[in-house]
Order: sequence, then C-alpha cells, then structure tokens
Amino acid sequence: MGLFDRVWNAAKSMAVGHAITIREMFHRPVTVRYPEEKPPFERGSRSVPVLKVNEATGLLNCVACGLCERSCPPSCIEIVQAVDAAGKKKPWPETFELDLSHCMVCNLCIEACPFDALEMADVVELSSYQVQDLIFSKDQLTELWKTSKALRVAGGERI
Amino acid sequence: MADDRGAFPQAPARGVRSGAAMAGHPGTGSAPEPVLDGDAPPEDVGRRLMTVNVGPQHPSTHGVLRLIVTLDGETVVRVVPDIGYLHRNFEKIVEGWAYPGIVPFSDRNDYLSAINNEIAVCLAVERLADIEIPPRASYLRVLFSELQRILSHLLFYGTFGMDLGAFSPFMYAFREREVAYTLMEKATGARMLYGYNRIGGLRNDVGDEWLRELEGFLDYVEGQAWPEYMGLLIDNEIYRARTIGVGRITQEQAIAWGASGPMLRATGIPWDLRKTAPYLCYDRLEFDVPVGKNGDTYDSAMVRMLEIKESIRIIRQVLRALPSGPVLAKVRPTVRTKPGDYYSRVESPRGEVGVFLVSDGGHKPYRLKWRAPSFCHLQMVPLMCEGWKIADMIAAVGSLDVVMGEVDR
Amino acid sequence: MNILLAAALKVVGVLVFVMANAFMLIWLERKVSGYIQRRYGPLRVGGPAGIYQSAADILKLLAKEDFMPGGADRWLWLLAPVVSMVPAVLVYLVLPIGRTFTLQDLGVGLVFFSSVTSFTLLAIFMAGWGSNNKYSLLGAMRAGAQLFSYEVPLILSTIGVVLIAGSLRLQTIVAAQTQHGWFFFEQIVGFIVFFIASIAELNRTPFDLAEGESEIIAGYHTEYSGMRWAMFMLAEYSNLFTSSALGVALFFGGWHGPWLPGWVWFLLKTYIVVFVGMWIRWTLPRIRIDQLLDLGWKFLLPVSVANILGTALVLMVR
Ligand code: SF4
Ligand code: SF4
Repeated sequence: MGLFDRVWNAAKSMAVGHAITIREMFHRPVTVRYPEEKPPFERGSRSVPVLKVNEATGLLNCVACGLCERSCPPSCIEIVQAVDAAGKKKPWPETFELDLSHCMVCNLCIEACPFDALEMADVVELSSYQVQDLIFSKDQLTELWKTSKALRVAGGERI
Repeated sequence: MADDRGAFPQAPARGVRSGAAMAGHPGTGSAPEPVLDGDAPPEDVGRRLMTVNVGPQHPSTHGVLRLIVTLDGETVVRVVPDIGYLHRNFEKIVEGWAYPGIVPFSDRNDYLSAINNEIAVCLAVERLADIEIPPRASYLRVLFSELQRILSHLLFYGTFGMDLGAFSPFMYAFREREVAYTLMEKATGARMLYGYNRIGGLRNDVGDEWLRELEGFLDYVEGQAWPEYMGLLIDNEIYRARTIGVGRITQEQAIAWGASGPMLRATGIPWDLRKTAPYLCYDRLEFDVPVGKNGDTYDSAMVRMLEIKESIRIIRQVLRALPSGPVLAKVRPTVRTKPGDYYSRVESPRGEVGVFLVSDGGHKPYRLKWRAPSFCHLQMVPLMCEGWKIADMIAAVGSLDVVMGEVDR
Repeated sequence: MNILLAAALKVVGVLVFVMANAFMLIWLERKVSGYIQRRYGPLRVGGPAGIYQSAADILKLLAKEDFMPGGADRWLWLLAPVVSMVPAVLVYLVLPIGRTFTLQDLGVGLVFFSSVTSFTLLAIFMAGWGSNNKYSLLGAMRAGAQLFSYEVPLILSTIGVVLIAGSLRLQTIVAAQTQHGWFFFEQIVGFIVFFIASIAELNRTPFDLAEGESEIIAGYHTEYSGMRWAMFMLAEYSNLFTSSALGVALFFGGWHGPWLPGWVWFLLKTYIVVFVGMWIRWTLPRIRIDQLLDLGWKFLLPVSVANILGTALVLMVR
C-alpha cells in the first residue's frame, strides 16, 4: 500500500468516526437525571428482604421458625423468638434483625420461608454513613414493607 | 519485538525501591540518591531507571490492579503485577457454606459475568448431587450466559477505548449496557449480581413479553450499535496503529501461560469450551468460533467484537428452540452431594472459568478451587509489555480484560 | 499618561475576556462532549443549560487548599501556572479581531504569535520538573518532544499564506482575503497541516499525550490543585481560542463577512473552529509518542515544505 493510500484510508476511517459522533450529537440524550426523575424499578427488583404484614390480621406472617436465619449464607439475619411470662415460646419474633451491610440480596431467605413472611423490597436509597444504621430492626423492616412494592419471587415461577 | 522474552522476570516487588527514582532532583535537597537498591537485579545497576507504581489508584488500571513498572524513559523495562487488593477469601469461606449459598456468592468473583460463574458452580454441584435440570432451564442458562457475554464484551469495548484515550465509545457501550441491564433486572431482579441460578435450574422463569423485548435489543445491537462501534473505534486508523502488533503473544506462549478465551483464540487456536467440551445445550446450537491470527491486542479485541455477533446468533437460536416446561428441578432444600470430585468448566467472556469441587458427602464442599482466567492472563503482562512503551502497556493490559474480583477471589 | 491608561485598559480588557472566554469554552466543551456521548452535560448548577457551572467551579477551586507536594522545587512549582498564563494572554495583542480593531497591529504579527506560544513549553516543563512527581516528569518530557516537533510544521504551514498575502501582518493577511477569497481554498494542504499541528500544540486528543489520562494520570499538572490548576486550565482554553482565531485569520478570512460587524464574524468563525476541535477530541483515540513524532517529522514536515514550494512555484509562474 502506497503512502497515498494509507493517508486516504486513515482520513476515511476518521471521517466515519466523526460522522458517527456528530450524528449521535443530534439525538436525545439517554441520561436519566436521577434524583429529580427516578427510573422506574422493574417488577421484582431486589434490594432488601422485608417482613410482610398479613393483610387480614395486621400482624407479621413470621412465626420465628428460624429457617431463613439458617439458610442465609452470610448469616445476616438474627431472630429471637418471643416468650411469654411463663417462659412458653410464642409464634412470633421478639426481635428480627437484618444486617444489610452483609446481606448480598440473594433471595435465599425468601425462598426458604415456608410462611410467606418475607418479601423483597425495591427501595435502594438505604445508604448511610454509619454501619450501625444498616442493621434493620423488626419495625424498620415492617415499615419498609409498607412503603415499598415488595414482592416474593421463588421456586421457578414465571414473571 | 517482545516475542522472544520467555522468562518471567526474577525481580520481586521489593527489589526495586519505588521512592528513589528521581535521582539528583534539585528539590529533594539531599545528595543524589542511588537509582536502585542494593538488591536490585544486577543488570539494572548503573542504569538510570525509574520505577512507577501504576495503580492501585490509577485512571486506567482495571479495578485495583497494581503494576510496578520500571521505566527507561518511555520504555517499559520490567513490569511486575501486584495483586491481592480485592482478596475476599472466597474459597475458604465457601467451605463453611451450604451449596445454595455458594451460587450467589460466586457472582462476586467475576462480577462482569455473574451468570457464568453461577453456572460453573451449579454444574459442579448438580453433577455431584445427580440432579438433572429441566431442558428449559438448560436453554435459558445458555441464553443468559450469552447475554452476559454481550454485556461483558460491551464493557470491554468501552474500557479499551478509554485506555486508548477515546472516551465516547465508553459512553456508547454503556448506553447499550443500560438497556441490557434493565432486561436483566426484569428477569432476575438484579442488575449486576443476579443470584439467578439455583441448584437444579433457575430461580424463576421469564415471560414471552420479556423474550420479545430481548429480541428487540438483539436487533438493535446487531443493526445499529455494532456497526457504530466498529466505525467509531475498531476501524479507526489511530486505533489500528495503536493495537496492531502490540502485546503480541505466540500460540506456544499462550498455551504455556494457560491463556484461555479470547486471549487464546486471538492467537489462532479455535479453543472454545462451548465447542470443545460442550456443557448445557451448546452442542445443539450452531455457532462459529472467531479466531485471530497474530495474538496481538487488535486481534483479541476483534475476537471479542465478533463474539458479540456470535452470541446474538446463539440467543436467536435459543429463542426459536426454547422448550416449555418447568425451570427448576425438584431439589431438597439442603442439597447433599455424593463423595467425590468434579471439575466443571464454562466459557466465560474472559476464558475458562473452572470450579474444582471436592465433596466428602455433606451439604458443604470439602474444598472448592476456583480457576480464574484473568489470573492466568495477568501473568502474561510482563511477556506482553516489556520492551514496549507505556502507552502500549496500558493497551496490552486493557486487552486482557482482567477483572480483579476474579483474580484475587 | 494617556498611553499608559490605554495600555492598562487593554490589559484589563484582555484579562476579562480571557476569563469569560475560558469559562464559556469549558462550559461548551462539557456540553459538546455531553451531547456527543448522549448525555446532557452540566445542568444542575443552574442558569440556561447549566452555564453557571464554570462559575461554581471557580468558586470551588478558589476554596481549595493550595497544596504543594513535598520535595517540590518551590519556585519552579509556584511560578509554572503563572508562566503558562503569560503567552496565553500575550497573543491577544496581535489578533485581528475587527476591521480596525487590533490591540497592537505588529508588522511581524505572525512571528510574534508563534514565538510567544512556544513559551507554553517552558511552563509545562517547569511544572513537570518542579512537581517531584514521576508522572509529571513523564508528561513534561512528552510535552517537550511534542511541542518542539510540532512547532516546525505549524510555522511552515503558515508560510504559504504569508507568500500569497505578502505580509506577516495579520491585518494585512485578512485584508488580502477580502479581495482574494479565503486562503483556505488555495492553501487547503497548509490548513490541514496547520490544524493538525495546532491541535498537537494544544495538547488535545488525539495528541493529548502530555496529559494522557489513562497513561500518566494528568501529566504535568498531576500535582496541582485549586487556583493553580485553574490557571493551567485557563491558559489551555485561552490557547484553544487563540490558535483557532489564528486559523480563522489565516485561512477563513478573519473578520470578513457580510451584514454583521467584523468582530461578530471573527468570533463566530473562531467558535466554529473551536467546535471542530472539540468534536475531534471526543471522537478519536490517543496516538502513541513515537507515532506522534513520526507523524510530525516524517509526514507533516515534508508536506508543509512541499506546500511552500508549490505555492512559491505557482506565485512565480503567475
Ligand atoms: S437476601 Fe440472602 S444474604 Fe440477604 S438476608 Fe436473605 S439470605 Fe441473607
Ligand atoms: S423463615 Fe419465615 S417464618 Fe421462619 S423465621 Fe424466617 S421469616 Fe419468619
């Protein structure tokens, strides 16, 4: 290839690139301006496991069976079962704590729960400067369930 | 130029002092410092060399890779990759975890091809636990792993352009990735670390509407985005001048250093696990394995670009052949494997991801060894860079497409 | 007294223009890069299309700590940003902004321009050497090689124009184009060489080796922050404007144009050339140092020499 060909090809390839960029310039930007306009979450987006409230009774579905605690790989759920004055165990959790700083949002606890007590919320603005703030208590998790579009996807169902 | 440099440099990171390179600098106010330490390699004594730390905080090292580079002016004399900044103790941690938990955790290894990692783990466990996955799950796994390959190669295209100083390709690649991420989010509920595979199949099925959307995305990538990528960067004369012949490795070297994936195929060896050791339903699908000729950075980038097209072709076939039925086999919640070992390997966008699983019959692995392609590729950095310019080093390291999460595990 | 007052006014006027223009250009660069990459660019600070962004940046940079790296060569390091500003401001002296509006219409305007801009190298080298940083030093060395080798084709490429116009005075060159037509058409080879070389002189992509981000972080201004860094930026964008302006004066008829006043035409044409520079920056990858020198010495230099010879021959025959 002679020098002239090389120069010609180089110029041509660069002209193609410039044509592409100038064409893109006159298209609408694809940016979503995040805090002002929030992109919609897809149905079933996962961000944090939350405790579901039973519509009929207004109580938690959770019976403190501890299956989710055991199935959580990084062990970030801690459940203490409620006991009454006589020392008898009660079917609800006294405390239900979730350490979101460890949680890898894997959905395994939700699949493990046989009582439909856990769901995945789709709130992502949970960051904090203090790592202690990422340990969510039972009330906080219930609150999150109420304020988000939580959903349970498990067991090969079709979405 | 750098072809015949076979031996790995003997200099450990410690041998070269990193603070003393600007000998006799007027501002330091002290006597001229010796360029190198007493325990520097003998061939360096007396040469005016300069040691630069490229990374772990540097605009172009991928993740937290640190390269200790000894320079003679602009020329790279020696480069020693230093790894371990992202070590998370994956292999030891999973020895204490039940199998279902390992699958989402393995996402974090090669975080740009999470699905492939999951498949590697699942294949090993399913084999040892005698679990047969439903055909629809097998096809969907192929579909997702190819979609993942497209995503990963798009990112490669963007970051490689950035390494070479072109910024717009990065943004264009991310524009398409955004669409694909949203597709992934719809199907799996997450955008990057999917946690989608389960022992015995997939967490959930996808609907017809999603499949149609996916087809639209493929058409868009093939018809619009791909030609644009080629025109903007790959065919550009400056790009060609920067990459052709740079960081060249021969077939023998590639094999000797354990290269796999696009790095191996760039040298002209048509080794693709999807063809040579088919897993899932790859043996029922038709596709080509793009190979390069010279094994330089241009070829390895080109192989990746062509693989995007092949992946699109595979996904189209999957869409046509997708059987109906369940996607999750009946599996007990605590999966137990029979004693024994199995090495499962899949073709990730970076190369051969291998999981060597040793089981003693429990519900946890006795030992799990992760074979990361990036780790092997990173060893070739000295081979590819020494004797070249700094800019070539950046290009060569960029063409490896390393993911440090996978290297350090 | 009057002369002193006029001189002071001119200096203040130029400084104000340099500032305002650099803000404008920085904003424009961000917008152009944004829209090319399908983004919006700055929007959030306010003003029409986020135009207050540059003002906000300056406020931030003013408030930043003035940090000098340990072991830096104090005076070199401190003076480098100031030195980089000097040529950037000085070249405004000879720009033929309007038909009758030049700050000082020197008879050797073109020579003045190219000799003053070569001072930029001094500033870059002071910064690179004074910072006691290896990346800075690498950047400075690259800039040295680059600016030195592109200075030659840059000057040679303008000689064709000088031959046709018969003068080094920029006003005369522009005036010659009012009758003769733009020199761009006759001197297209000269213009291409001029344009490539001036992009290289400005350290912009694809020749931004001196600050090649992915290789040597920020090159010679790696260690600068706050106002000192801002001065480098001001100088860089001011240089972008002035060398585009020189291109307009030499090849595109300067202030010449119908209906509108001359300075409007001049600014308009200059901004178009600036835009083309930005367009190139956001399209092309970076070239390598040896390829850069090859291009300068083995391609641009012979081409520009051939251009001079060709022009001279044609002029002689005519
Ligand atoms: S999502 Fe996974 S990591 Fe998080 S609490 Fe549930 S099981 Fe544990
Ligand atoms: S598995 Fe369900 S019911 Fe049992 S403790 Fe967990 S959330 Fe409660």
